[in-house]
Amino acid sequence: MKKVVVHPERCVGCMQCMVACATAHSRSGNLFSAICEVPLPKPRVHVGVGLYGEGFPNRCRHCDPAPCMLACLPGAIYRNAEFETVMIDSDKCINCASCAMACPFGVIRYHEDMHAPPKQVVAVKCDNCIDRQAKGLVPACVEACKSSALTFETTSDALKRKTNEVARSVSIETGKIVVAPGFNLLNAAKKAQINLKAM
Amino acid sequence: MSKHYKDITITEDGQLMLKKAEKDQLETVWDRYESQLPQCGYCEMGLSCRICNMGPCRVDPFGEGPQKGVCGADADIIVARNLGRMVASGAASHSDHGRDLVEVLAAVAEGKAPGYRITDEQKLKSVANEYGIGTEEKDILKIAGDLAYCMQGDFGTRRKTITLIKRAPEVRRQLWEKVGVTPRGIDRETSEMMHRTHMGVDNGWDSLLLQAIRNALSDGWGGSMIATEVSDILYGTPKPVQTWANMGVLKADHVNILVHGHNPVVSEMILLACQDPVIVAFAKSKGAEGINLAGLCCTGNELLMRHGVAMAGNHLMTELVIATGAVEMLFADYQCIMPSLGNIATCYHTKMISTSDKAHFPNMEHHEFHPDNASELAKTLVRKAVENFENRGEVYIPVEPMPAVGGFSVEAILGALGGTPEPLLDAIKAGKIRGAVGVVGCNNPRLKHDYGHVNLIKNLIENDILVVDTGCAAVASAKAGFKNSEALQFAGPGLKEICGALGVPPVLHMGSCVDNVRILVLASALADALGTDISALPLAGAAPEWYSEKAISIGVYAVASGIYTVLGPMPPITGSMNIVKLLTEGLNDILGATFAVEPDPVKAALLIRKHIENKRAGLGLDSREVK
Amino acid sequence: MKYVIIGNGIAGIQAAESIRQIDSRGGITIIGDETFTPYCRPMISLVLEGAIPTEKLAIRGADFYEKLNIEPVLGKRVTHIDVDARQVIIDDTPKGGKKNHFSYDKLLIATGADARPIKAEGLSLGNIFYMRGQAHVCDMLESLSGGKKALVLGGGLVGFKAAYGLMKRGFEVTMLIKSGYPLSMQIDEAGGKLVLKELVRHGLKVMVGAEVKAFEGNGRVREAYLSDGSVLQCDIVIIGKGVLPSLSFVPRDQVRVDLGIVVDQHLETSSSGIFAAGDVAEYVDIARKTPWVNAIWPEAVNQGRLAGMNMAGRKVAYKGSLSRNVIRIFDVDVMTCGVVEPPDDPGYQVISKIDPHKNFYRKLVFRNDVLVGLVMVNDIDQGGLLVSLIQSETPIKISGETMLKPNFNYKQLLKF
Repeated sequence: MKKVVVHPERCVGCMQCMVACATAHSRSGNLFSAICEVPLPKPRVHVGVGLYGEGFPNRCRHCDPAPCMLACLPGAIYRNAEFETVMIDSDKCINCASCAMACPFGVIRYHEDMHAPPKQVVAVKCDNCIDRQAKGLVPACVEACKSSALTFETTSDALKRKTNEVARSVSIETGKIVVAPGFNLLNAAKKAQINLKAM
Repeated sequence: MSKHYKDITITEDGQLMLKKAEKDQLETVWDRYESQLPQCGYCEMGLSCRICNMGPCRVDPFGEGPQKGVCGADADIIVARNLGRMVASGAASHSDHGRDLVEVLAAVAEGKAPGYRITDEQKLKSVANEYGIGTEEKDILKIAGDLAYCMQGDFGTRRKTITLIKRAPEVRRQLWEKVGVTPRGIDRETSEMMHRTHMGVDNGWDSLLLQAIRNALSDGWGGSMIATEVSDILYGTPKPVQTWANMGVLKADHVNILVHGHNPVVSEMILLACQDPVIVAFAKSKGAEGINLAGLCCTGNELLMRHGVAMAGNHLMTELVIATGAVEMLFADYQCIMPSLGNIATCYHTKMISTSDKAHFPNMEHHEFHPDNASELAKTLVRKAVENFENRGEVYIPVEPMPAVGGFSVEAILGALGGTPEPLLDAIKAGKIRGAVGVVGCNNPRLKHDYGHVNLIKNLIENDILVVDTGCAAVASAKAGFKNSEALQFAGPGLKEICGALGVPPVLHMGSCVDNVRILVLASALADALGTDISALPLAGAAPEWYSEKAISIGVYAVASGIYTVLGPMPPITGSMNIVKLLTEGLNDILGATFAVEPDPVKAALLIRKHIENKRAGLGLDSREVK
Repeated sequence: MKYVIIGNGIAGIQAAESIRQIDSRGGITIIGDETFTPYCRPMISLVLEGAIPTEKLAIRGADFYEKLNIEPVLGKRVTHIDVDARQVIIDDTPKGGKKNHFSYDKLLIATGADARPIKAEGLSLGNIFYMRGQAHVCDMLESLSGGKKALVLGGGLVGFKAAYGLMKRGFEVTMLIKSGYPLSMQIDEAGGKLVLKELVRHGLKVMVGAEVKAFEGNGRVREAYLSDGSVLQCDIVIIGKGVLPSLSFVPRDQVRVDLGIVVDQHLETSSSGIFAAGDVAEYVDIARKTPWVNAIWPEAVNQGRLAGMNMAGRKVAYKGSLSRNVIRIFDVDVMTCGVVEPPDDPGYQVISKIDPHKNFYRKLVFRNDVLVGLVMVNDIDQGGLLVSLIQSETPIKISGETMLKPNFNYKQLLKF
């Protein structure tokens, strides 16, 4: 089963996944029309900022067992077994924020949504783009990510790739393979800048 | 004081005003910076391209996603095009500023600029001579008209080369010719830079960079240099002058007026209006003790250099200064004026005036200044500022002002040395002064405000390196107390001895950001005196907190003129390691100088000291090991 | 294997479900005094408020007991446990095949808690309610029409929710509280003041320190006489003075009882084979490091689940309970967790950030380098992350200031 895998070290913080996600969860499915819709579609993936100004695509892990599901008062959070996806039934959601208190990753937001009853604020989070997946498409965030910080692959493939990378770096005497020297250079500069602020 | 404010700025007035701003619920540049985080990595690396409408495109730095834009441009080409366009914008800004001054000069010659006059006739004549204009027994206004006409020629395409590159040492000019970067016309190079970066024109990343260099040289030895020279002609060549800096320069019992921006065309007229006895009397009739004019950013530096007008703050302080509630009116001309300022002023009584036909701002009243109406318009508006005095609410002036000396034009420095650079060269040869460094550039919310400027300068002067500074860097060091009679205590023994004997501080304020050209002229004078190239001298440049495209242009013309330059923040080039290598290593073989990037001012000082000691060794002077 | 579960609240329901997952054949009996389909107790205030209909309270289907092959004994209260005979006895007369005692191999006490009663004259008048179960709220709904003024006793969670619900129904609500602000058991003073401000902004009247001596009325309550001598008009009264664990039937000589029924890490009581879970159980509090009864829904869920597993033979350890709450009050969101008012002890450090203009407040309590408590007012999206740090007792390596910012997130805990 293919899943969205996050590789935080590759996130360049461009936030294109957020735009793609909001668009994919709009009525029109088109960026230029989506920004005129009511309610305004919002992303379910959130690029947060790390301590050194680096980006981090924060996305629902679809945990099992899912703390949000256990905490949900009205039983609005359920698991879609086919796509191994934790879903929220917005008709049942009472916007109590119990899931906000339960989610250890902080990926749930509360706002109006086109799938929810009109004018009602509900809990909204990543649905793994199961509508897109059913059509044979990859999740919108993955499609938008050009730096491979978000990939769509089986867990074993992701692990294999990681193992290969580690193996390669071990076999090279100089140590770690530098995948993107420019990105490392940029990050080193940013880190230095932030560290100076505390001086 | 909360740690939070200390993380933002090292200045006491800044920290106190941040607290006030938080209380007043102002949104500041730091709030907006924070809400922008994380910033887009493609853009930070120069890997995004919005040049044409087949795009926008971006290149994956990790090598798995797209490696070329739709047009086929790879990372090297995209980064080079983006950098080239930054230089073009920076050069255009300085040069357009210069053009505006030439237009005032032409209007003065035609008698169509009441209130403006030729203040430094001697300089007018000497510059006219450089342009090949005869000045013997010629009417001053005629000379001014001829000079303006010739300078306008430098902007166009009729010349083979721009005129003032003649000021550069012969060897340097030959090198430019050999490399093919001699600037031909000021606007031409900017235009060609824009042309070459259009899709499907220049797709050699190295040839694009050479044009960027030529474009920057057209700024440094063209647009900016004309701006400085014409400003001196119109408003006077700076001489050492006493002044004050930080927000304490605002006076609770005076009508306070601020000028912000870059071009002295407007601010000089405001100054005259503020000194008008009728308006001063009007201010007194309104209960004020007088009218207090103070500066922000480089238009402030222009007035500081020539008239000792006090300096309220640099780039990142411009929002906070309004929060004092003590400012009756702020005049903005152009460049580096945050569009947020007008909005901040709506929380106070401060009237905001935009003055340039090319620079409009939200929540500012627009009153266009032109040479023919500037003098009268300035008086009308300053009267309005006086009338606004009674609308003041609570006033909070956080600190006492710091005394400083400014006004070190090349003429003034040579004057202090007795008319020739020899005494300075002797001090360098003797090793009492190890070398000289130009510390220039902006503020940037990525870095703690003024931390880079102040710590770099401190490290340099205590190691016997003379510092000349301009722009926001110059304001930072003035606020830090590096420019007054007590400042010698911070200098190393050799520098202290020489500066003490000359009666100057260890850090010399050379003006606004266009005035970086004064450093070029001084460096050329030193090189000529030694019969060598600028790149052989124990000199360096630094822009510890740069943010603007103008700073990129300045950095490029400094390096292209042979001055090793250390940048604080990383420019958007890391998407191409070829370009990083060229700028930080390869350029040495081509132009005899390179860039370095080092945000930590202490480490930057070490880089600079090593460079200076190496250059000393190259000249056969004593050389110290730097650790 | 015969399992008996006393209580059909969420702890009992969760326990039954997890037993069934492991043991598909054992007999399960649930004895409960409520006859409704399993419902969500914390949501009853939403029914009072009018936000949801009563039908939406159900969290399991009407066929719940049938589907899991559970014998339900509903509408009954347990009177006694015969530990030696391994039997539970209920208050019913055995007749027509119905028995009044149930044998068990494994017993779970998940009886929850009852509203703490108050002493005052005239409590038997109409329109005076406790608010604990679905039945209470159904009764209240029938008494709302025509009423204008409401009196709420207590500023705890129940009192607060009752007041909020009645305000939303358009009542003029007066709340009698002991501390200067509501939710004083959950929140600190600064946060409580923000909550109070929001409630007062929407019309709540608060009286501090006074108590009711007597109610008067003609069949239905009309007036309340207070200890300070004043008299309040009221059409409805709701009593929310906290809850007490329901454990009167527990033989204290055989099952250890403190404030609640004391359990071990497997939710087992001092008497082998007898377990306890939910509002009635007492176990160590992770943040306070002392035995505590945390009568909150998520702990009942958790404890019920784990107790069921342990009863069915899968040994699963319970780490401890943690007090926490999240509440939305008009435009203000509040989340609290763990130790919010630390004792005067140098081992504790408190940092906070308040912006009254934006109604933002965040306070973090550390014991050495471990987060042990928090108060958040607004910007609560990342609250679960902070709660999980308290729960896991993770040593915090980053600066606390970072964690006070609204944009604090998971990444900031990871290495660069």
